[in-house]
Amino acid sequence: MPPELAGTEVGVYSGRHYNTDKELYKEFTERTGIEVKLLEAKDDALIERLRSEGENSPADLLVLVDAARLDKATRMDLFQPTESPALQQDVPAELRDSKGRWFGLTRRVRAVIVNPELVDPATITTYADLTKPELKGQLCLRNSKSVYNQSLVADQMIQQGDDATKGWVQGMVANVEQPFFTSDTPMSRAVAKGDCGVAVVNTYYVARMLSGENGAEDKELAGKLKVVFPDPSHVNISGAGVTRHASNPEGARLLLEFLASPTGGKGYAEANNEYPLSGYGDNEVLKTFGTFKANGVSAEQMGTKNQDAVALMQASGWK
Amino acid sequence: MLGAGVVLVSGLALLPVLALLVFAVQEGGLEQLGLGYEGGEQVANTVALVLGVGLAGAVLGTANGWLTANCQFPGRRWLRIAQLLPLATPTYLLAATAIDLGSRLSWRVHGLGWALVVLTLGTYSYVFLLSTESFAVSGRRQLEACRSLGAGPWGSFRRVALPMALPAIGAGVALSGMEVVNELGAVELLGVPTLSTGILRRWQDQGDPQGAVALALVALAIVSLLVAVEGQLRRRSRRWLMGSSGDSLKPWRLKGWRASLSQLLTALPPLLTLGLPLVWTAMSWDQLRGETAAELAGLTGRTLGLGLMAAGLTMVLALLLAIARRWIHQPLLQQLTFVAGMGYAVPGTVLALALMLLGGPWLLSPLLLLVWGYSDRFLAVGKGGLDAGLERIPPCVDEAATGLGCSWPQVLRRVHLPLLRGPLLVGGLLVFVDTVKELPLTFALRPFDFDTLSVRVYQYASDERVGAALIPALLILLLGLVASLALVPSLKED
Repeated sequence: MPPELAGTEVGVYSGRHYNTDKELYKEFTERTGIEVKLLEAKDDALIERLRSEGENSPADLLVLVDAARLDKATRMDLFQPTESPALQQDVPAELRDSKGRWFGLTRRVRAVIVNPELVDPATITTYADLTKPELKGQLCLRNSKSVYNQSLVADQMIQQGDDATKGWVQGMVANVEQPFFTSDTPMSRAVAKGDCGVAVVNTYYVARMLSGENGAEDKELAGKLKVVFPDPSHVNISGAGVTRHASNPEGARLLLEFLASPTGGKGYAEANNEYPLSGYGDNEVLKTFGTFKANGVSAEQMGTKNQDAVALMQASGWK
Repeated sequence: MLGAGVVLVSGLALLPVLALLVFAVQEGGLEQLGLGYEGGEQVANTVALVLGVGLAGAVLGTANGWLTANCQFPGRRWLRIAQLLPLATPTYLLAATAIDLGSRLSWRVHGLGWALVVLTLGTYSYVFLLSTESFAVSGRRQLEACRSLGAGPWGSFRRVALPMALPAIGAGVALSGMEVVNELGAVELLGVPTLSTGILRRWQDQGDPQGAVALALVALAIVSLLVAVEGQLRRRSRRWLMGSSGDSLKPWRLKGWRASLSQLLTALPPLLTLGLPLVWTAMSWDQLRGETAAELAGLTGRTLGLGLMAAGLTMVLALLLAIARRWIHQPLLQQLTFVAGMGYAVPGTVLALALMLLGGPWLLSPLLLLVWGYSDRFLAVGKGGLDAGLERIPPCVDEAATGLGCSWPQVLRRVHLPLLRGPLLVGGLLVFVDTVKELPLTFALRPFDFDTLSVRVYQYASDERVGAALIPALLILLLGLVASLALVPSLKED
């Protein structure tokens, strides 16, 4: 690292907020001497703020959760391309922007959870199986405001085409008889308690329950759940890019490389029981879920489909 | 000079809204101004919530205001102070804890009914505070006359105290209505589509700023209606306070079932709002996640600083507007003072966007923007009580003072301010408590490394980590409580 960067500052706008992230930024400062200034807020608010600040923005690195938001920031021209052999090597091609404007840092899978007493897990091998008529009244979903659901639909549109995806969404909505949930944890509890038979959640919520972080009661409940990875599985990311008007782009690039490296990336992923950029990491709880086959849809493509996905969900009665 | 002040304050209050309109027009014109796909449902839910919460809050707030001001029953003093707890509790926290508890007990906490309960709890204190202040000071003589003619507490309340307190009650209901139109976190968690959620959704998920503006205009119309109705109520019930004797009225002693019912009614809301987080805590010791003491001290210090700054500034501006309304009889300026309170009608998230649009290009410091935002939003909160307070001062007092050669600043200093101490303190307290639990503005506009308690609570709650959210949340409650004890000596007196 160039010694002249020691003592400089990197401004980070981050849509993630885990206390462990802060530990990582500290570690980066210890290694490089570069101070990290941090602002954590909602992704959409950060995008608006960066846009309105324009050239005067104090942010050098923008960290966002979900491909859809990375794409939104890209369309608003908030990122600048970053040349970095290290990033090219550490971040698989489908998890970064083709022009180097942003790079994935962690992976999360939106999988299916099943209550084996109500639904045979073997009957669900793909997302399409969620439309089976025997799941009527058993399926629970989070509402369409959830960006995770939006990206899942965008991902299906890319793979199956619009018409097939519309049929799939309508089939699922027809199976849902309870009001749509507004968060994943209560929905996971509902499946464990048998109020629902099957649901679609990000695995880290279940992992968090299993790890005991949510207390003994949730740990016991999560033990009753079977996590099913559809074949192939939908993978989403959190990622970051150097901002268009960064005053310290070199420092931002170093931080980005650190976060994407196996060392930094491991900490970033483990903070929230997410998967690292490649492999499964060594999170004991995640290991119990087994392995998944990523469907290979590029995060970049998924992001560009987001608004179409929102429109399709609305038109199909996904509240 | 007063007029210039009004123009300036109103201009600053309206600028963000105008910026938003201009932006929407630039982005794509307004030819497609429609409510959109879910607009009907969003409007219906918003209206249902405003009416439901307004009615429930009016009954609960007025009843508790009267009972704790003019009746005597065991525990009254503490229950009077406890009425402020619900106001200090962020509604999104209530919703998050209720949902979390419910899901552990296999209840679905979801939908309009629950939203009504949560928002009534969160906003009835506006009515309580403004009405109780009025019950405590107004019409002592009339009430004494009532008593000497043998009227009981109920008769005195119905015939004398209630009509005199109507302006204050109306102001409280209008405030609660605006708060409801503005509510975002709780209704989102409870899955109730409202204008506020719709605005955000169309703006950010669907890339449709015109659609968002269309919904914002509907929200604005609902709030204008609320404010207009409140003004009508006030004009119809115009009664001035004549010769209030300084010594306080002997309260009615309630016994037996009446005392028990009063206790129940006054204890229920604070018990619910404080009870939910505490029950949650009791059930989940193993989930509580603490922060370091230094971290908590930093969060609390920043929260306190912002709250005091916003309360001070907002009350000064509100006083300026209220006095101008009384002294300047020019229709245009009258309209301006009315419109300046409209910042409250704009959902905080949208106001945050607007302030970003304004502040970004000018390089305004984020903190300055933040305080501007707070004052803009809470001007109505400060103004409501002041207007009601000024209503009670007969114009002949001003005339007498000016006849003796006082200029308006002198009248203000020597006549109005001493008489407005109560409403000023109550207004300041309301703004303080509102700022401490405010979320969208703080979240979007704060500078680097400047988290506050409410920001932390929301981050954890939105990450579905209620356990980590509770300690900062309880600190917010504590701040609200300390502020109300310090600021409202009138609430402590027996």
